[in-house]
Amino acid sequence: MADIELAASSSKAERAKPVEMVQLIVFRLGDEDYGIRIEQVKEVTVTPEVARMPKTPPFIKGIANLRGDIIAILDLEERFRLRPAGRELPERSYTVAVEAADYTLGLVVREVPRPLTLPLSQIEPAPEFVQDTGARDKYLEGIAKLPDGNIIIVLDMRKLLTPSEVMRLPGKTASK
Amino acid sequence: MKTRDQEYREMFMAEALEYYDSMSRHLSELERNPSAGPALNELFRLMHNLKANARAMGFTDLGEMAHHLETLFGLIRDQQRTFSGALTRVVFAGVDAMGAMIRAIGANQPLPDAQALIENLDRLVRGEEPVFEEDEVAETDEEAGKKMELSDLVYIQVKKLDNLLNLVGELVIDRDRIMTLAQELDNPALLATAQHLFRISDDLQYSVMDARLVGVGVLLNKFPRVVRDVASAEDKEVELILSGQDVQIDRNILQIITDALLHLVRNAVSHGLETKAQRQQAGKPLVGHLTLSAMTERDDVLIQVRDDGRGIDTEAVRRKAVERGLTTANIAATLDEQAVWAFLFEPGFSMASKITDISGRGVGLDVVKLALDSLGGQLRVESELGAGTTFTLVLPTSIAVKGALLIEVEERPYAVPLMHTDTVLALQPEQISVVGGVLLTHFQGQPVPLVPLQLLLNDEGDEPLPLATRNDVQGAQQVLVVNYNNRRLGLVVDRFIRQQNIVIKPLSKPLDTIDLFGGVTLLGSGQVCLVLDVPALTRLFITKRP
Repeated sequence: MADIELAASSSKAERAKPVEMVQLIVFRLGDEDYGIRIEQVKEVTVTPEVARMPKTPPFIKGIANLRGDIIAILDLEERFRLRPAGRELPERSYTVAVEAADYTLGLVVREVPRPLTLPLSQIEPAPEFVQDTGARDKYLEGIAKLPDGNIIIVLDMRKLLTPSEVMRLPGKTASK
Repeated sequence: MKTRDQEYREMFMAEALEYYDSMSRHLSELERNPSAGPALNELFRLMHNLKANARAMGFTDLGEMAHHLETLFGLIRDQQRTFSGALTRVVFAGVDAMGAMIRAIGANQPLPDAQALIENLDRLVRGEEPVFEEDEVAETDEEAGKKMELSDLVYIQVKKLDNLLNLVGELVIDRDRIMTLAQELDNPALLATAQHLFRISDDLQYSVMDARLVGVGVLLNKFPRVVRDVASAEDKEVELILSGQDVQIDRNILQIITDALLHLVRNAVSHGLETKAQRQQAGKPLVGHLTLSAMTERDDVLIQVRDDGRGIDTEAVRRKAVERGLTTANIAATLDEQAVWAFLFEPGFSMASKITDISGRGVGLDVVKLALDSLGGQLRVESELGAGTTFTLVLPTSIAVKGALLIEVEERPYAVPLMHTDTVLALQPEQISVVGGVLLTHFQGQPVPLVPLQLLLNDEGDEPLPLATRNDVQGAQQVLVVNYNNRRLGLVVDRFIRQQNIVIKPLSKPLDTIDLFGGVTLLGSGQVCLVLDVPALTRLFITKRP
């Protein structure tokens, strides 16, 4: 299992100046970097065997057995329409298990996600005007600008993971 | 195997010893502080319970002693006596004597004689001074040297048992997986170990399931009161007959059907049984009979609610169903009585013309159906106009493990609980006809509609299913006939894999809104397998049929 040591950088955070620090788990979707607060991440693992589930939207890859828990696996590239043409998910992908209030979901990503610690002040609230540019803006907590000029889009899992949101079928009502 | 008697005896012993310990504790408290209200109330309650239990088990001497002490504590509580002087001595002697009796019961020995004590208690109740015999002092000394004992039973939260059962479920899945691997690797040592693991986990699973079983009686015994209340509200006379209280069932299943059974019983008294005048007119005995019985049938538990009342007026239900728009008059006319009775379990369907406290608000019977569906149970209805109605709940003994048939559609396995399967058929094209765009076959003289399972699973949107044609039937068709609410449906599948016991895990949010699937199970290969929900599949077919 390629579990990643998620707490690695926590000691560094404690020693930092009294600036509020945030730890993110960062992964790539399409050509963009996305981050989730570490408190919302349960574990990162190699994607287990996924069983396709009928009656679900295409961005739900199916269900998988994660240590005895049966969880739904979501493909955010598909959900946000970020998949570059001709670049299907690789054979060996990774799953970030994220925790909602009372259930767990898996997000499938192509590369090993990495932890990152940064001051909270570096995350800027998402600008209002992007409201209607795509589904993902509704779930943004903000955008982090790194000193090296890179940008990380910070997702708020609690907004993403409401059951009605996950089951939202394009163009029709949820389940029958 | 222990007999039921022994088991009750052990439970009685455990409870009695616990009562005895609490009594000793509260007595000491009362001695320090004679006006301690809570201790006094508690003693009164403990005596009362012990009295009831002892009498129920036939230990009359113990019951008598508890009864006398209860009376005395009642007087102390009402401040007609004080906990002091000679009274204290008699009470302590009385509780000690009860302890000795309980131990004697546990050791299967004759109960010690306590006549002198009882007489002293009587004297105290009458307000006289107790009379002590010479040798009683010595006896008390002997009591002081008695052993301390811990109960043989522990109380456990159902939640802990649930957790244990889940863990065993996981273990069984992993065990099957190891077994498969061992067979693939063909290593004799590994295979032997895997087989041993197999046996042990089987025993473990059985033991955990056994620990969760309770007698149906714990629920049935609550009904005499319910029946009495409903009957007196409706001014009817009802004799309730209970049977099969010893039949064992998983505690959680009993919990889930509690409301359903309550509805059925109220319904039977309120709708099923006639008023005294009506019964007289019909030449029936004035007292209505209601039977609540439990029995086992193969692996299932049957709970029956039988009344000798007016029976279901099939024609009235038929009319009402058309009135309510549940079906059209033309279709209604063709339905047999079982199909008509099924309407009774539609949400909001009520046959009562006037609303009473007990029934007629259009809630009730659909609750029964829902509870049974959630358990994977079945409901059978039998009724004869003028002679009575019988509702039979068919329940699994245990929630966790179910027999299932594994089938394959589009190279994916699915499990169908055996509870809902009737038979499997291999049909040749000439055995299948097309009627109004629906495939049809005949089984046991009944027409059974067929539908490719793949169509139901992949169906999206609100349009009806495509019309079936003869071209859809190429070669032999593998058909699984499922049964829900007395409706048969043939599911055409790609192939049958095997029959297997499965441990069903509920689907977690957000996928639990898809009602076609009752849950998931993991196969020996580690593969995730969806469990089909036959009621939901049947409903989907009915709403989507072309």
